[in-house]
Amino acid sequence: MSRRSTFKASLLLAAFSLVLAACGDDLGDVETIKLAVNPWDGSAVNIAVAAAVLEGEGYTVERVEIDENAQWAAMAAGDLHASLEVWPSGHAENVASYIDGGGGVVNGGELGAVGKIGWWIPTYVVEENPAAGSWQGLQDPATAQVYATAETGDKGQFLIGDPSWVSYEQDIIDNLGLHLEVAYAGSEEALLAAMDSATSRGDPLLFYWWTPHSAFSKFDLTAFELPAYSDECYASGAVDCDYPDDVLFKIMWDGLEEGAPTAFTILSNFSYTNEDQIFMLGKLDEGLSVDEAAAAWMDANESVWQAWIPG
Amino acid sequence: MTSLTVRSAGWRRPIAYLGGAVLLLGGLIVLLPEGIGAFPPEWDVGLGPAVNEVQQWWISNRRDLGVYLYFFDPLSDSIDWLLRAFENLLLAIPWYVHAAGVGLAFGRWLGTPGGVAAGAGMLYFVALGLWEQSVQTFSLMTVAVALAVAIGVPVGILAARSDWVFRGLRPVLDSMQTLPAFVYLIPVLLFFGVARVPSLIATVIYALPPVIRLTNLGIRQVPTESLEAGLMFGSTSGQLLRKVQLPQAVPSILAGVNQTIMMALSIVVIAAMIGAGGLGQEVLLALRHQEVGRAVEAGMAIVLMAVMLDRFSHSLVGQGRMGGAARTQGLQYRNWWVAGGALAAMAIAGWTLGWTDYPTALQFSYAAPIDGAVDWARDNLYQLGNLPVGTGPFSDFLTTYGTRPMRLYLSEEAWPVVVLFFGFVAWWASGKKLLLGSVVGTVVIGLLGMWTLTMDTLSQTVVAVLMAIVIGLPLGVAASRRDWLERGMRPVLDTLQTIPSFCFLVPVVILFNVGRIPGIIASVLYAIPPVIRLTNLGIRSVDSEIVEASESFGVTRRQKLWKIQLPLAMPTVLAGINQTVMLVLAMVVIAGLVGGAGLGLEAVKGLARSDTGLGFEAGASIVILAMILDRITQGWAARFQPPSSDRG
Repeated sequence: MSRRSTFKASLLLAAFSLVLAACGDDLGDVETIKLAVNPWDGSAVNIAVAAAVLEGEGYTVERVEIDENAQWAAMAAGDLHASLEVWPSGHAENVASYIDGGGGVVNGGELGAVGKIGWWIPTYVVEENPAAGSWQGLQDPATAQVYATAETGDKGQFLIGDPSWVSYEQDIIDNLGLHLEVAYAGSEEALLAAMDSATSRGDPLLFYWWTPHSAFSKFDLTAFELPAYSDECYASGAVDCDYPDDVLFKIMWDGLEEGAPTAFTILSNFSYTNEDQIFMLGKLDEGLSVDEAAAAWMDANESVWQAWIPG
Repeated sequence: MTSLTVRSAGWRRPIAYLGGAVLLLGGLIVLLPEGIGAFPPEWDVGLGPAVNEVQQWWISNRRDLGVYLYFFDPLSDSIDWLLRAFENLLLAIPWYVHAAGVGLAFGRWLGTPGGVAAGAGMLYFVALGLWEQSVQTFSLMTVAVALAVAIGVPVGILAARSDWVFRGLRPVLDSMQTLPAFVYLIPVLLFFGVARVPSLIATVIYALPPVIRLTNLGIRQVPTESLEAGLMFGSTSGQLLRKVQLPQAVPSILAGVNQTIMMALSIVVIAAMIGAGGLGQEVLLALRHQEVGRAVEAGMAIVLMAVMLDRFSHSLVGQGRMGGAARTQGLQYRNWWVAGGALAAMAIAGWTLGWTDYPTALQFSYAAPIDGAVDWARDNLYQLGNLPVGTGPFSDFLTTYGTRPMRLYLSEEAWPVVVLFFGFVAWWASGKKLLLGSVVGTVVIGLLGMWTLTMDTLSQTVVAVLMAIVIGLPLGVAASRRDWLERGMRPVLDTLQTIPSFCFLVPVVILFNVGRIPGIIASVLYAIPPVIRLTNLGIRSVDSEIVEASESFGVTRRQKLWKIQLPLAMPTVLAGINQTVMLVLAMVVIAGLVGGAGLGLEAVKGLARSDTGLGFEAGASIVILAMILDRITQGWAARFQPPSSDRG
């Protein structure tokens, strides 16, 4: 090789590294970050914020609509890179086999928001009939009848949304001997629609719901009383108590730290409060799209998300 | 007039059978000891947990497995690469070049009006802002269909050459078509990851059977004379296949490809559940967010794509029949180069000028008026004043007097009575073999631990089928008497049949009460076209001489319908009912997504909770139920078919 071509080559190399340097930090080999969007709005707004931040750093983001269980296998295989809102109460088995068992997924830290799944009823139901607001009351068939529909006949109806949500309704009902039958509305929106029509007619309705959620600003809801949560109750395998407080956490593909270090750091740092999420869910109710809601929050809270970005 | 006497005897016999059945089952109910209810749960053989153990083992060990590292992983990566490359290629070409190209191609094969219509059709995808989704769905489907052909044609050839292979394949093909896609999505997910690849595999599994079936059929139908001629000239069997059998089977194979395309399009929504994206995801999101307008827009895009591909592949079938004559016209051939050059020039001009996007000002959407109409219906039709009229009271009525009592009866009545009842109906429909099959089948469902859920699904199916018949039969009769009605109904029925089944669920969940009723209403809408169509067809094709003869005897219109037209049309009507039953069952299963209880919900839960065992048990029960119902209704249709000598 002549001196001249060596010189040319090193010039090229220098130019190339300049280009790289201009890009800021090293993005890594994985330039397309695949984020899981689970079928509820909270998950969608988290991902919209994360996508905007990652795209600002030069990554391409691909959003994959997938439910909360299927995402584990996909992440273990590296087909998904992160999911930002896992509710621990429903995923003990997945955590055991995919995270603790070295199944290819790592714990990405807490989301910051704390959730609580529970049973809820419109407040007017307890006001009219206090017994219908607690589990002891529903052991009596006559009280449970308040919630009966044509479908459930002589039992009361317990309404839940998406069949893919991990939940313990059937266990709680069986183990406490409640006269209830589980029905599925199909999705978060369908459950909201059911609340809407029940409250507009003043009908009783007992359903699965969670905080943080913007629905609480629209409906006057009261928590249905279940036996208090205890670790023993969940460990026993026969759940007969309330849901625990869910410290929401993030999960990531175990190859992400090496493949896309900057993205890994951003997503690890990603955290905000219940209020932040409710702010965006409220924007959705106003008719904004998920990305518009995320942009509105990001405009108002620049210091929060700027702090996630390394360097 | 022999056929008339045969017919009236044909009515009397079923009544005798039915009387016998009532006596037999009544006797059984009285004689069976108290306390025999649903199939004993402790007889569950526990297949589900076993399946799950295999799954668990796979999850924890797959990283060390050679088959995963050296087979599934590379395979999945290369399919993914191929799909993305194809998708990106299509997206890189400006939309108007696609529109012009499609228009030209349609113009070439279907004439100028067809070309203009197709070019304009392409506008729909862009103008509604569904371009990327459409391209994604189209490319996934194209690759899926190509794979299905690449696998299906050789398998079909194999089946045609060996009866043994053919017999072994038939039940497999039947199950592939009846097994709800939810069930195999999880295993596919475990082997191939998420998003494009598993969706592709699931689509191929679902869409493969028609190619195999019709390739097999096409080759088997080659006249023996041609084969003998070939043999006489000393052809080897390979030559025979390539030079005689395959060329003659081309039209049949192309018909299979056409069906495969339709099948592939019909599962785009289910595939979206594991991240396929595209138009299917639009429909799924619209369903979740209860946006009817959005679902209709995306659903119509799928219908449009289906219609265009259908027309196009049909015209190719026609070409295949015509042989090479059309292809050798030199002028046409040269025009293709000109057209290709013009398209390329358009694309290059577009890129250099930066005109690749559809102008946002020209976008439109018709979702709002639809949403408005549905909102109005929800607010005003749920209940009219305090009258027991409206969708709400109707839901309750159907539940209280239809599905609920039937479900409770079927699932709480002594299970041997139900098994024997099934067996009896099967025997009546088709004979001893089916009796045995249905008894074994129903008992297996019990052993899978799915007895109660299956009875739930069965009761929903029965109610929906009865509704479809009660509404569809009179409509079919009316259509057979008035040409304008038949013409007016045709586009409506076409749309009902091509629209993705999920689109039906969106409005019904809003209008009817939560539970089983939305699924049943959706099933009726989805499954009614065959009853209407085939009733109409059956009555119209009754021998006009017989009708005229009866008129000369001075029968009234009503007598003519009940004594002559309907009985003679019965085989065709029953063929329609057979299709309806299968469509209802498919829809009742999909309704699991919106809370329709039973096997469908269980299969959905299986997918959603990665409980493959549960999904497998539910899926197997659905397949068994589907096969029994299919054979029974087919058996009835065959029973009413007069011996061919009758028609003399």
